[in-house]
This record gives sequence, structure tokens and C-alpha cells, in this order.
Amino acid sequence: MSIKLNVIDLPKSDYQGGASTLCPGCGHDQISNVIINSAWENGLRPENIAKMSGIGCSSKTPAYFLSQSHGFNTVHGRMPAVTTGAAMGNKDLTFLAVSGDGDSASIGIGQFIHAVRRNLDMVYVLENNGVYGLTKGQYSATAVKGSKKKKGPINETQPIDLCKLAINLGCTFVARSFSGSKKQLSALMKAAMSHKGFALLDIISPCVTFNNNDESLRSYTYVKDNDVELHAYDYIPTQSPIEAAAAPEGEYHDITLFDGSTLRLETIGSDHDPTDPVAALSALHIAEQEDKHVTGLLYFDPTKATATEDQHLVDTPLAEIPDDIMRPSAASLDEINARFRGKA
Amino acid sequence: MDRIVNDFQLNIATANGTGSQSANLILLNTMFDMGVPVSGKNLFPSNISGLPTWYIVRVSDNGYQAPADRTHIQILMNKATWDEDIENCLAGTVIIHNTDVKMAVERDDCTVIGVPMTKIARGLNPKLARMIANMVYVGVLAEVLGLDDAILNTAVSQQFGGKAKAIELNVEALALGRSFVADNIDISDIPFRIEAREKDANEFLVEGNEAVALGAHYGGVGLLSWYPITPSSSLAEAIIEYIPDLRTDDNDDTMCAVVQAEDELAAAGMVIGGGWAGIRAMTATSGPGISLMSEFIGLAYFAEIPGVIWDVNRTGPSTGLPTRTQQGDLSMLYEASHGDTQHPVLIPGSMEECFEFGWRAFDVAERLQTVVFGFSDLDLGMNNWACKGFEYPEQPMDRGKVIHSQEQLDAIENYGRYRDVDGDGIPYRTLPGSGLDPILYRGTGHDEDGVYSEKPEIYHGLMQRLKHKMDSARTWLPQPLMRLEEEQEVGIIYFGSMENSIQEIDDILETEIGRKVSQCRVRALPLSPAVEDFIRDHETVIVLEINRDGQLYGIMRRELPNELIPKVHSAAYSDGMPPRARHYAELIKDVLQEVNQ
Repeated sequence: MSIKLNVIDLPKSDYQGGASTLCPGCGHDQISNVIINSAWENGLRPENIAKMSGIGCSSKTPAYFLSQSHGFNTVHGRMPAVTTGAAMGNKDLTFLAVSGDGDSASIGIGQFIHAVRRNLDMVYVLENNGVYGLTKGQYSATAVKGSKKKKGPINETQPIDLCKLAINLGCTFVARSFSGSKKQLSALMKAAMSHKGFALLDIISPCVTFNNNDESLRSYTYVKDNDVELHAYDYIPTQSPIEAAAAPEGEYHDITLFDGSTLRLETIGSDHDPTDPVAALSALHIAEQEDKHVTGLLYFDPTKATATEDQHLVDTPLAEIPDDIMRPSAASLDEINARFRGKA
Repeated sequence: MDRIVNDFQLNIATANGTGSQSANLILLNTMFDMGVPVSGKNLFPSNISGLPTWYIVRVSDNGYQAPADRTHIQILMNKATWDEDIENCLAGTVIIHNTDVKMAVERDDCTVIGVPMTKIARGLNPKLARMIANMVYVGVLAEVLGLDDAILNTAVSQQFGGKAKAIELNVEALALGRSFVADNIDISDIPFRIEAREKDANEFLVEGNEAVALGAHYGGVGLLSWYPITPSSSLAEAIIEYIPDLRTDDNDDTMCAVVQAEDELAAAGMVIGGGWAGIRAMTATSGPGISLMSEFIGLAYFAEIPGVIWDVNRTGPSTGLPTRTQQGDLSMLYEASHGDTQHPVLIPGSMEECFEFGWRAFDVAERLQTVVFGFSDLDLGMNNWACKGFEYPEQPMDRGKVIHSQEQLDAIENYGRYRDVDGDGIPYRTLPGSGLDPILYRGTGHDEDGVYSEKPEIYHGLMQRLKHKMDSARTWLPQPLMRLEEEQEVGIIYFGSMENSIQEIDDILETEIGRKVSQCRVRALPLSPAVEDFIRDHETVIVLEINRDGQLYGIMRRELPNELIPKVHSAAYSDGMPPRARHYAELIKDVLQEVNQ
């Protein structure tokens, strides 16, 4: 049996990465799989991809895909700046970035905004779970008002919707999906990878561990009762990833989360015009009022120049220009000296 | 009466935003072009228009460039500081004032010259009278001091870039100022005169920020990311200004990207992204910016990414005195970020070095695969200084250990991104896009192959290698410059803009206490072993700094062998002003008295 190759004759194994160290059943791993599949199916050259991330559970995932690509797991919330600098250095790379809601909606929201504003040519995968996982379950700025975590008070603060924000900022590709909606997510991921400009893919990816609940609380209590030495948060329930059947366009689908609550996903209708930012914002606002999440390609504008195009850089990526071209000539310095001396 | 030739100080008190800067530069350039050693310092407020500004011109055949102990000629243009400025005048000062301000000058012990400057200016152009009045005082000074008319007119023409109308107007204002003095004032009692000297035809005036900016271009800078902050903005703007001339191809496409970042954090992040992708990236900032960049600086240190950050130091802490100078960031630069870190710092003390370190900083950063700081200050960066010319780099760029091909990679036995195969602490790296042995760079603990690790021996080994890498640079970073006296009793260590005061300090010590002192100007951190030798060779060593705490002194106390520490003393002082020789000479005398030398 021959191994299946993609359009550039590479097997899918060339797109895979290391083993995940996230909690078993984490939706982020489903997203990593979609990234692997999409990059393979799109025939991207692994060496031409740069994997970028910040800090958090989501930002660890570039270790779990595309091990033949260089990557940079930077600092919390500041991945967009590093990506901007790298894009100036080598504009021909495909920047595939993974970030979380802590990164993007809190500590790094300014960098997120300015990367959108510059239309930096990158795929910005936002693995959105509403909690700070690595610091053990604090609410993030995308947590839904009224949600309740295992310990502490109910979240009373309204959430930031990064899709709404991005549309208002003139983002050129805005989509929302769910980590379990493999089919829809794959389509959107491949589209984002093909997009020239900033592609935001906001993926709802519930936390298996800290989006906690009666059921796991019970499990937690059970374990705690049986092992007093166990640290309060050391027990990670083993979960199966949430799978969601794709909802047909314009219809919704209810998903039961790890905490037993229901997430209602509505696929945006085929009559939605993704070039109309007002319609996209309207759909997001209505969904919010109805306690639903609208998914699909919300907004798309392929016409804007990217951050590197705005620079009017020479054709060759700057990192590949020979040193003697990057350094101006000795004659030019003679001229400058002469000008200062008033002799030119 | 005895003339005082080329040895006095002017103080021009104006209001910010009135056009006095042009007038003052014309005055400075005229004296400079007459071959007279002169320096100009702009003491300006954090304000665009209206607040007081002083311009200090030191004229000195000895080449002294720091502000003198006293002012000899005071120009009064600003009502707001009028009384204070008069009060500051010592007996014998020549006070030249604008009578149209309608403020009294009651000083029997000074020579007081009143000139209706605004009225004269109004006669030329009523709308621009406020600005032209400044040129009238230049005309008055030209007549009193004896400035060369042709050279003065050339300076006007250069200042206004050939704009005929502006030149004509200003030349007329000069002439009217001159003739007012000639017709109305007896200047025979005024001793101060300028006499032309032979001018070094190669010498010109330039600001340190512009010199660094040019240096950066000759270092092949591929990305400038920056966030505006006084006093570094003019460095970034000078880089931008030279791009069309120096860094574009025939299609007007550029080889130097410029991103005005959303903040200093982003500016630093972009530098690191650029360095990671394989270009020479830099930013320019001041102390508050370094504070914000510190997290990224630690990442660059730990993940070993090259980058260049220029700190044009202003007076801290916090917003501090944003338009005043200091050497207050040195220890922060050396150890910026959390955990154990150490960063090379290049410290120019002249315009020639500002240019040289402008390009050399990239060589150091790429060779060491780390962030390198250029350390300037407001005094050096934003004032005009004499420069003999910029020298083209003799060697091609040092791009460090970058692997570009599979053959190169195969030739290295047991390659790992963070493996020290050469024993100098510096590993090899490959670039994104090359497909050569890619890794996921990270700010977390990593082993020699770049794989995540928390193992104690791996972390310890990595930190020791990084230390070894920095230590290995001590002998090849810019070495200290020495001026050794035979006696080798007293040694002075100093750095950066203090260079402009050191000759005068030296002369004061020799004249007043008969001491000849050796000098050692530090030009880089980590310190060269030559600094240790200098200390060893002298009985008493005093470290001069423009800060409160003696930051270089502190670094020395930690790094020097214990037996040398008692020899070393600190003479640190900071009040926001450029270093005045008198202050430091007195501090040195105090130390010598204390140690009974």
C-alpha cells in the first residue's frame, strides 16, 4: 500500500509534531490535528511555515504539529510583535500563530489590535476557552457573564468578543468555529491559510479541567475524600474530546460541555454576505442576546494591502539579501561626510 | 582693557517654540566655522511652546565643552525667567536684553545693553517679528564679539536650506542688529571677543543621534521598530530620513522596514522577531522604554536572539526630567529582565564612536546571539558636537554562526541549537525558512537541542554557558581608552558623555592641587580585563558618573577581585544638567582628601 501524498508529494507525517502534554481530551489537540490536516491538504511547505505563539495552554501546541517548521513560543500576549518583526525579515514565510484568550483578550489585546490594524499577513488561531488553564482556572476576559468555576465567585464581568472587535478594526478575515466541529473548522482553517492578510479564527475550545462542574466536582470530591494528600487541582479528569455534528447552514446544534451545560452553535446562514461588516456584527449581537454562538466565516475582505506590502520592501526577503547590498557603499559615506563638511 | 578671547560662556534665555533654536544654531555654526572650539547645549523643557529654554554656548580655546562655572554674556528674551536670569548673573556679566519685553534690568555691577529687538524685527516683517527678534540678538552678538560676516551669512543660508526669502529676511535682521550696536553702543569696555582660528577642514558639527542613525544604516539595519520618546526620537527619525538616500533600490523599494510600534514592548518584540528571522533589527528608546522592554530582553538573552536597542538616557526615575540628561540607566541595561541576565553595552563618548557603535552593535549582537545595548544620553544625542568624519567599516559584517546549508550543518559534529561545539559558549543557529534542523524557540528551559527541559543539570549548564559566552566577549568588545601618567597614583575611570568634561577636570586638578591623573574611558560592558589592570596599576581609582548611586562603581565592586575594591571610589553626581567639570573636580578632591592622597 502506498503512502498518500499531498500536492507537493509530502506524506502527512511530514506535518506532524511531538506528543501533546495537554490534559487528555483537550479541544486544543483537536485544533492541532486540524492544523496538520489543513497544512497538508493545502500543500504548504513545512519549511516555509513559521509557527508563532504566546504563553498559555494554547501556545504550547506548536510543539505538537509541524515539527519541520521553525517556531517561536514567545512571551505572554506579545506574539504579534515578534511575528511582525519576523514578517519584516522574511515576508515570504507563512505565519501560523496560535494564541489563547488570556494572550489575546487581556495581556496582549493591544498587540492583537495593532496586528489587525496593520493587516499582518498571518493566520491567528485563537483557542478560546474562557479560562486561564496553566495557572489553574482563573476567568479570562472572554468568560461568559454568569459562568461559575469550581472555586470562587460567579464571573460578573461582561466578556470581550474578539470577533466583534476584529470586525470593527477592519480585520480582513474573521471566522468563529468550535474545536469539535472538525468539518467546519477544517474548511475555515484551509481558507485562513490561503488568505492574504490577517485571518482571525476564533475557536471555542472548552477546557476539560477548569470549566468545572457538578459532575467533575463530584469526581474531584470523590478523589479528595479518598486521598487527602492530593493537591486541590492535581486531579485531571480524563475526558473524551467533545465531538459535534456539523450543523447545516442557518441551523443550530446543541453541545453538552464538560460541566453539563449546553453550548448552542448556530452556523451562519448561506444568505450571510461575508463582505458586509454590519451584517456580521449584527449576527454576533443577535447570537449573544439569544445565548448562542454563531459560527462560520463572518467577515472577509481580500482587497487590503498587508503590513509588509505597506512597507514597499524589495522583492527578495530582507533576510536573504547579501551583506554587501544591505550595507551602503563607501562612496555614499564619502558623500555624507562631504555634505557635512559643506563641500557637497 | 585686556581682551578675553575665545574663553567665555554665553547663556541665551528664550521661550520654547519662538524660533530661537535656528538663531542659536546659526551662532554656534558661525563660531565653529571660524575655527573656534565651541559647544552648544540646549536646555529645553518638556513642552512644545511657551516654556523657558536656555541655550548655553561655551567658547574655549582649550577645547572645554562642558558648561562653565559661570556665564559671561547673558541674553534676556524671556519675560518668564527675566528676574531669575538676572539674579543668576555674577558681577561683570554682560547682559544683553530685549527692551521691548519692557522689564527692568537693574544691575550696576554688570554691563547692560538694551536693544529694541522686537521693534527692529517688526520693521522687517510684523508677522514674524517674534522669530526675527532672535536673529537680531545674533546680529548684536556678531558686532560685540566680532564674528565674521561672510561666515555668518553662510551659516544663515545653510540653516534655511537655500530658501531665498527666509535667508534674505534673516540676513537683514543680522545687519540691523549689528548696526544698532555700531550706532548706539560703546563696546570698547566689553572684553569678550571671538578670534578666528585655523579650522580643521574635516571637522563638522553633528548630533549624536544622527551619528548613531547613520552608523545603523552602515550596519545594514533591516528593521527599525520604535515608539516615540524624548530624547531618542530624533535617532529613529534620522534613520527614516536617510532611507531614501541609502537604502532603496532603483524601483524605490526599501531594504529597511520601519514600524512605529504601539508601545515599547511591541518595539522590542519586533526587534526580536526580526533577529530571529535573520535580519539586523533595532529600536531606539530611553529609560522608561527599557523598563517596558525588559521582559523581551530576557527572552532574547535566554533564547539567544540577536537585536540592538539604543538607550538615549534621560533623567529618571519614572518620567523624571524628560528633557534632561543622565547616565542613570547603566546598571539596568547591564542586567535588564528577571533572573540572571547580562547584556553587552556599547558606550560611545564621541560622534565618531556614535557612528562606529551604530554599526558595530549589530556585529556584536549577531556574534553573541543576544541583545546588545547602545548607551547614549540626551547630552550626547541631542546636542551638536565636533566630528572629524565617519569612517567606513574596515571589515565585512560579522553575521555570527549562522548555518545556511545542509553541508554546513552536516560538517558540525553533534549539532544542536544550543550546543557549544566550539568551546566559546556560542552555539550555531539556523534561520526560519531554511528548513535546516528547525526547533521551536522558547523562553522556557531547554536542552542543547532546544527541547523543553526542567532538569537541574541542564538548566545549570545552560546558564553557565551563557555566562561563559558573555565573559568571552570581554576581550574583544570595544576596549577602554587609556591616558596614563607616569606617577600612576590617581586613576580616573569614566564613560560616555563625560568625555566632554574630562579635559577640563584634568586641568583643574593639575592647576589647583598639582595632581596629574591617569584616565581610563570604559567603552563597553562587560568590562575588559584592561580595566582591572588599570585599577591594579594605580593607588587610588575614582569612578566618575552622571548618576546618584555610582552604577558603574557598583558593577565594579561586584566583579573586581576583593583585594582591589578598597582602592576604588565613586564620584557620582546628577542634577539633570550635563556634567560640569567643577563639580567632579571637587568630588575627586574630596575623595583624595579622604584617602590622604
